[in-house]
Amino acid sequence: MPLRQQVVFLALTGLLLLVILELVRRRRLRVEYSWVWLASGVSIVLLILRYDLLVRLTEAVGAVVPTSTLFMLCILFLAALCLDFSVRLSTLTRQVKDLTQELALLRHEGEARVEGGAGEPAHAAPEERIK
Amino acid sequence: MLIVIPCRNEAGNLPAVVAELRAARPDDDVVVVDDASRDATAAVARGLGCEVLRLPVHLGYGGAVQAGIKLGLRRGYDVVVTFDGDGQHDPADVEALAGAVAGGADLALGSRFQAPGAYRGGLVRIAGRRLFAGLCRALTGVALDDPTSGLKALGPRAQALFATSRFPDRFPDADALVVAHRAGLVLTQRPARMRPSRNVHSMHDGLRPAAYAANMALSLLVAALGRATDLRE
Repeated sequence: MPLRQQVVFLALTGLLLLVILELVRRRRLRVEYSWVWLASGVSIVLLILRYDLLVRLTEAVGAVVPTSTLFMLCILFLAALCLDFSVRLSTLTRQVKDLTQELALLRHEGEARVEGGAGEPAHAAPEERIK
Repeated sequence: MLIVIPCRNEAGNLPAVVAELRAARPDDDVVVVDDASRDATAAVARGLGCEVLRLPVHLGYGGAVQAGIKLGLRRGYDVVVTFDGDGQHDPADVEALAGAVAGGADLALGSRFQAPGAYRGGLVRIAGRRLFAGLCRALTGVALDDPTSGLKALGPRAQALFATSRFPDRFPDADALVVAHRAGLVLTQRPARMRPSRNVHSMHDGLRPAAYAANMALSLLVAALGRATDLRE
């Protein structure tokens, strides 16, 4: 790989890594998500410095051009990331459902207590009173 | 006994449904689960003297009915009955379902195919029910002929199971029955004289029929292949 390309891409990757670290530092990105991005940044650096590794991998998997190996790796990475997000979304969906139900049950309990105790009109939920 | 009515925008139908239910079952508690309705469902239900669980965000039928089941489980009811809010179900059928649970079943399902003259729905729905009943039987050996019925009576073990994350909460039908069967629950069915829904759009229309069928088939497969639930978990 020509030196000029190496310098340009190293600079770009370095910037990417800095952005990731800054996001983590500002708590905009949770640490457990950041390692995937950091790992991908580091592997890009590795491939820029040691292009021969990519060539060897290309030969190993039987691809013709190193670029297609690179694209394959990118697509695999994105697919894995999407799968990971789907799993996290499923967890979040279940958690939101459980919390919603819990909230409804607690609100009901609270209303029943108000009804039994202070004699307030039980048919007015808090937000209806505000309206 | 607790009767759970999951509702979304049923303010128009609730008075008739609850009145009929109260006339037939004066001693039972009724809880209306308001699935983030945009109409006055919750206020109407309170006006009718029902308990109301108001979900702050829309969860769909499964999440709504599960909220009611959780309430029943926490209060320790012997039987929790799930009952549709659109006038499909006949309160007269509740007695036989509750009797089946009292007689030792964990879950009793109301079946329109056991009741002569019950409304069966259009051709597509009949075909769909047959398909899921067949799949259900093929995958698990559970022979229940109306697996998409929303009229169910749940004993304490079924309540406990359906309150867990093993409950298929998107749209619990045949898959919920398979999960129950795999958990070792005793399932049975009783005749139910279903009627046409009073609504043009029911909660059950949320999924387009084809998408629904595909989802249910997959959900059934998952339920059948999934790890059998240990209730002691």
